[in-house]
Amino acid sequence: MNPSNPPQAAEYGGDEVSAIVLDPGYATTRAGFAGEDAPKSLIPTYYGKYNADGQEKLIYGDDIFVTPRPGLSIHNPINKDGIVEDWDMAEKVWEHSFTSRLTGTKPGNPFQNGLNDIPSEELPTEMEVESEEKPLSDSPLLMTEPGWNPAKAREKTIEIAMEKWDTPAFYLARTGVLAAFASGKASALVVDIGASNVSITPIHDGMILKRGVQHSPFGGDYISSQINALFKSNSPQPITITPHYLISAKAAVEAGQAPQAKYKTFPADKAPDASYRALLEERTLGEFKECVVQVWPGPTRLSALGPTGVSNEDMARTSPGRPFEFPDGYNQVFGVERFRVVESLFDAKAAIPDPESSFAPPTPAQTIPELIKASLAGVDVDIRPHLLANVVVTGGSSLLYGFTDRLNHELMQMFPGPRVRVTAPGNTSERRFGSWIGGSILASLGTFHQMWISKKEYEEHGPNIVEKRCK
Amino acid sequence: MAAAADVRDMLDLPAEGQPRPHKKQKVVEKRPEGITRELYALLGERAPPIAINENKYKGRPKWMNKLRVRPWSMTPFTNNARSDGLVLNHWQRKHESARPPVPAPAPEGSEMEVDQPKEDGEDAPKPPEQEYAFAKYNIKPRLPKRYTDDEYARLLKSEDWSREETDYLVDLVTEYDIRWVVIADRYDYQPPMDTEPDANAIVSAKQFRTMEQMKARYYFIAATMLSLEHPPSEMSEAEFELHEKMLKFEPDRERDRKELAALQLNRTADEVREEAMLLEELKRITSNEQSFITERRELYSRLEVPISVGNTTMYQSSAGLSQLLQTLLQADKSKKRRSILGDGAIPSPAGQTPTHTGGLGRAETPVTQAANKKGSMASRETQQNVRTLTPAEEARYGVQHHERVTAGVNFRSDRAQRLTQAKSNVQTQKLASALSELEIPVRLFMPTERVCKDFEKLIQSVNLLLDARKVSEKVESEIRVLEAAKAERERKYREANGIPEPEPAHPQVKTEAEDGDASVLNPSAGGAQAQSTIGNSAQDHAHGAEGNHKRSASVLSGTSESNKRQRR
Repeated sequence: MNPSNPPQAAEYGGDEVSAIVLDPGYATTRAGFAGEDAPKSLIPTYYGKYNADGQEKLIYGDDIFVTPRPGLSIHNPINKDGIVEDWDMAEKVWEHSFTSRLTGTKPGNPFQNGLNDIPSEELPTEMEVESEEKPLSDSPLLMTEPGWNPAKAREKTIEIAMEKWDTPAFYLARTGVLAAFASGKASALVVDIGASNVSITPIHDGMILKRGVQHSPFGGDYISSQINALFKSNSPQPITITPHYLISAKAAVEAGQAPQAKYKTFPADKAPDASYRALLEERTLGEFKECVVQVWPGPTRLSALGPTGVSNEDMARTSPGRPFEFPDGYNQVFGVERFRVVESLFDAKAAIPDPESSFAPPTPAQTIPELIKASLAGVDVDIRPHLLANVVVTGGSSLLYGFTDRLNHELMQMFPGPRVRVTAPGNTSERRFGSWIGGSILASLGTFHQMWISKKEYEEHGPNIVEKRCK
Repeated sequence: MAAAADVRDMLDLPAEGQPRPHKKQKVVEKRPEGITRELYALLGERAPPIAINENKYKGRPKWMNKLRVRPWSMTPFTNNARSDGLVLNHWQRKHESARPPVPAPAPEGSEMEVDQPKEDGEDAPKPPEQEYAFAKYNIKPRLPKRYTDDEYARLLKSEDWSREETDYLVDLVTEYDIRWVVIADRYDYQPPMDTEPDANAIVSAKQFRTMEQMKARYYFIAATMLSLEHPPSEMSEAEFELHEKMLKFEPDRERDRKELAALQLNRTADEVREEAMLLEELKRITSNEQSFITERRELYSRLEVPISVGNTTMYQSSAGLSQLLQTLLQADKSKKRRSILGDGAIPSPAGQTPTHTGGLGRAETPVTQAANKKGSMASRETQQNVRTLTPAEEARYGVQHHERVTAGVNFRSDRAQRLTQAKSNVQTQKLASALSELEIPVRLFMPTERVCKDFEKLIQSVNLLLDARKVSEKVESEIRVLEAAKAERERKYREANGIPEPEPAHPQVKTEAEDGDASVLNPSAGGAQAQSTIGNSAQDHAHGAEGNHKRSASVLSGTSESNKRQRR
């Protein structure tokens, strides 16, 4: 193929208009140009707030992790349900996500950039007052939303995009639909395991079936709380996570021995807020999830008897444990416990009780297989087999080791008749950014450009247009 | 080398009996790039087992470097599928439509310099004139047109569906392009609350509409509107089919079907296992059946005797019998070979009678044979259901009865042809000359039954004539010999007795001889006249003609006599 020739439109179907895809989630916000294979900008949705010199200051992006400023508190504009609560801050965080990496800074006023300083006596008497620059005035914007986003939130989103960011064209797509597109399917059952939510979205012909959408709050954060509960009841001694910023030095210790570390202490007026510590603890827990936690692969539950008559727990015990070292140097090998912390995603009874946790123990109807069952019950019976043959797994927490195997087994047990096929991209970034990638594909398609809501249409119909157009 | 030559010399062998085998070509491997010659030499003769291969970025081919770089530009475009004229920007080749795709090679340097700024200036204000390539994918399904108030009141009223809800349903169908799954999912009709209280009370018990109810209602509306547009008699085939389908929609049956489908979907593992087991069993049975059938067919094909068609006359002669024996032997041989190979198809022992043993049972074979030999079948059939035909009918259908039918096909014209061939060449030539004198072609133009019969008769009579002439000639020559002998005797007698020779005796004899000649020639002339009325009369005519000519010949001879006399 001659690289200097453009691809044939018929075989490629793409037409890139330098659209920006913004996929705001609870834990991270992804942004990038449509047509690329991964978001260029990946920032935490959390933002930091602190007081300095009597002024309230805000920090965004990865900066929030770095410095334990006095009184630094961490907040999230999105509530546990995945719906935006604090619109002002959400707007700022989102804006940061694309201005920091994608749109860059506009060339400023040449009078003010310091290169054209002219002697003060020659200063022109009247200065042009530049109209306020808006960050997205030449990029169409595709944003994502969860399937259960209320109409009010949708209208607010288009308002921000159109009025605050001045985008020429806007579209609001559901994360589930986009995740299905990312794996090349127009009809699918999307199982999205996010940080704050687990959601099941049935999709037919690129449209979500609202009656089948199910979600529960037992996502990545819930697993973290389960890990915390496990640490509290740890057998030699309860484990407390001390984040890195509190440790100035540590020494290597034997597994299971008390840590020997020198801790930093902050005076009360200099110390950051508790939410900062929680954020950093969460980071450690994230590492723990990546390195240690494992989903019992099935086919039966962890508490059940295996096919050979030996209980699955005993089987799990025989498998070698996984070591993990905490920031303070404490390390331990985790055996069967590492299966227990996620078992409650599939088996409500297996939840580790923790009265201090903010999560109520899951009800049997809130496990993933039950959610899928409820979701299928909400759609027409004719498409159920097709949906089961196109189960798309996405979301960062679905990367738990053995998750898709277990899900496959659970579904096969629940629906022994129809063919069950779980599609999960093996590539980590494809799984984490599934909905962003789908958005990237969608917004770079030539056929999609007729679907944008243009600024003109917005001005004509008002924010209500989003309900009509983004179905 | 020298040693071999010496040995040859000593043993008196011819020098270099055969050319010496070529020296083995040494495979010289090319030195890969990136290795110096010296280093490569150190590797010795044998190349290392590892391929020295450098992965190198190929870059673009050289010829491409000579091409001028074709610029791209961010161009605005509008999408015809949109109504609002939204202008978006995308990268496009400059002048893509105006310029031929491959620019003609031109002096580069100068053009490069001149082109760039000028094009920029020109391009910017140029409006995008091309239609957007993806606009054509913006399609909507064709739906029957909306009803008017009047039409609704007349035809579409329903107790179950209010006008508002019907409107809502039709809107939804249009919006979601008849995707029923989505329509049923999004269906959320809010009955108007501002109507009078009692009506409100009735409707307020918000009912849940199933997809079947929606479909039934919509199909009824669509079918009605379709038939309003075109009455069913004027519909195109596709339209009519659609109309029928929509009219025949049965919501209850559809609902039952869905219930069954749901049951099927939610079977327990045991039920599924049982079904799988049953299916397995079925599969086993069917596969066994297959092998059973093949075994039985094998048996049948062994027992199979070819059902003979056609007559057996060909086997009645000894030659035919020996041929049959031959073919049977051959078939037997090949059968053995086939059965070893495991092939079901066995060639029929009689070469000419095809026996079908393909995938069909025995009973079917005659049919296929009949198909193969349609002609013989037809004749057999006429023989089987015997029906006596009157002579007139026989003539009409051209039915003939032959006492003896020779095998194979033969032509009537051939038989006629054969008649013209006599045993001797001379005779054949005579026949041919006689025919040509009669202006009858040797090969008949129209060898119909009747013509052939007449031709046969003609040839017979010609032959008869020829025979007659032969006999008469013989007699004539005998007479002449005897006459000559008699004359000799008389002359001797007269010489002995001194009696002078009587004069007129000679010409008399001569005349007779001439007469005979003429009679040989003439019957053919008479035949020519008789051609139209060929038959027994031909012979009489010929005789009559002969008589005529005899007279004329005697006249002729008379004149010749007088000539002779004058000469003398």
